Amino acid sequence: MDALVLLGSFALLCALGVPVAFALGLAAICGALWADIPLEAVMLKISDGTDDFALLAIPFFVLAGAIMAEGGMATRLIDLARIFVGFVRGGLALVNVLAMTLLGCISGSSVADTSAIGSVMIPQMVKRGYPRVFSTNVTICGSIQTLLIPPSHNMVIYSLAAGGSVSLSHLLIGGIIPGLIFGLCLVGLVLWISHKRNFPKEERVPLSAVPKIVIDAVWGLVTIVIIMGGILSGVFTATESAAVACVYAFLVTVFIYGDYKWRELPHLIHRVVKTVAMVMMLIGFSVAFGYMMAIMQIPAKVTQFFLSVTNDKYVFLMMANILLLALGTFMDLAPMLLICTPIFLPVIAQLGIDPVHFGIVMILNLGIGLITPPVGPTLFVGCAIGKVTMEQVSRELWPFYGAMCFALLLVTYIPALTLWLPNLILR
Amino acid sequence: MERLYLACVVVAGAALVAITLMIPLGVFMRYAMNSALSWPEPASVVMMVLFSFVGGAAVFRAHGHIAVQALLDSVSPFKRRVMLVAVDALTALIALFMLVYGIQLCLVTRFQTIAEFPSLSVAVTYAPIPLAGLLIVLFLIERVWVGAPPPTSIMYSDRAVGLE
Repeated sequence: MDALVLLGSFALLCALGVPVAFALGLAAICGALWADIPLEAVMLKISDGTDDFALLAIPFFVLAGAIMAEGGMATRLIDLARIFVGFVRGGLALVNVLAMTLLGCISGSSVADTSAIGSVMIPQMVKRGYPRVFSTNVTICGSIQTLLIPPSHNMVIYSLAAGGSVSLSHLLIGGIIPGLIFGLCLVGLVLWISHKRNFPKEERVPLSAVPKIVIDAVWGLVTIVIIMGGILSGVFTATESAAVACVYAFLVTVFIYGDYKWRELPHLIHRVVKTVAMVMMLIGFSVAFGYMMAIMQIPAKVTQFFLSVTNDKYVFLMMANILLLALGTFMDLAPMLLICTPIFLPVIAQLGIDPVHFGIVMILNLGIGLITPPVGPTLFVGCAIGKVTMEQVSRELWPFYGAMCFALLLVTYIPALTLWLPNLILR
Repeated sequence: MERLYLACVVVAGAALVAITLMIPLGVFMRYAMNSALSWPEPASVVMMVLFSFVGGAAVFRAHGHIAVQALLDSVSPFKRRVMLVAVDALTALIALFMLVYGIQLCLVTRFQTIAEFPSLSVAVTYAPIPLAGLLIVLFLIERVWVGAPPPTSIMYSDRAVGLE
């Protein structure tokens, strides 16, 4: 009955259209009233949820990514990708996917990356004869890589939702190979479609232009070296490295690229405030909700339920994949991570699944949910930029869903793809 | 209300910029000057709570909080109106909870001080919570009284040039 009050009231409030952050808070209040917990305790948990120093990595990762993506980095990475894959059949589509991989090393937001790359690549692809819907689909699917490739603020959210018990460094490194595999699956699909539909090849970039393009792009890619190098060497904490990366990103875009205009800065800060404050408030309320879940022993009951269904971790992973894919179609990534992580962690501990591996599986599942209707923020932004309707895009997304699900299966059932690199580097 | 929204964004933005400068300063002092500062971390946490809640209130006015719209979009206009009234009432409830219980939390902790800033009460850290509750109530009254802000509102002035 406890679970019904807490989870039922949350589901009801969400269905009604109450913002998810407030629905979490209201459900926690309902649960507290039901379980005779003083409401002061709920308020204390909300305040606890936002005064954790580790949380600061989230605004910093978003800010650094926004500065770079909007300060001229996106076009430079597109130029860099053109050197490697532009001359292949379907070259511009491949450039789109590879540019997303490279931008993933700077930004962790699929929505922001869809804006940054899509606004440049979709018009170019359409001009060269690619169908508008195909161009949009390549852009939105490619942007999901950025959720896995470090730095990703969603990994910070997962690590925090796990109560800090999962190492952020392991998560960040663990996402690299799954992110690349995801990109490779998309490349394979794009190559196949390009040959089938006879999409054009681009001219090779002249050798004389290559050094300047590479140097320009390297300035931006140093951001990932600062973040990962700082964390791995122990010089910075994750939060510090992200803050230093912000300052570096600002200096590069203003003084080296010279693309960023000072008058644009207030607008950029405005955008970042709107993106991040929403996530931070969500985190605050989710801590109160998680506290009520713990009091009502919901994670333990869920563990019991799953263990009564199966003791096999692979069967559980299949069930979790289906459940997360379904939930991801209805809700955004951050709230689902905050709600599901504390519920699933005890189950995976019982079944011997590594929490770093499960975190990557979870982010990939919910990431695919970002491009599925009815609630798909990346899908919405992609449609707006590509000037196509959601129905048109959804009709032709099936092969892409197939490629993404293939990548998901590989990442789910071969844990070594996630765990080998962090175990090698962070031994 | 436009000015109040702008004030929220300016305060939250200033807090974000301040944190972004304070943390690298701490790193610089630790490694370059060999003199670790103790204040950047606690000061950043105070700023982060301010940024989260005051910014979160502004996000509410800008309709930026994630919500599930599927059911709202699929019902008749009348039912939709009824549902939206219920959403507003429930939002008012959580905002009043933040206001009343946030003030209580500040009152309870007002005599405790932050270790690194002995003259600063812990209540300062928590004050943005009731403040955000009050701001959300005010923005909600505006929404009910005069309707949604016009497309020319400053809320929409943040669109990236050339991206959208």
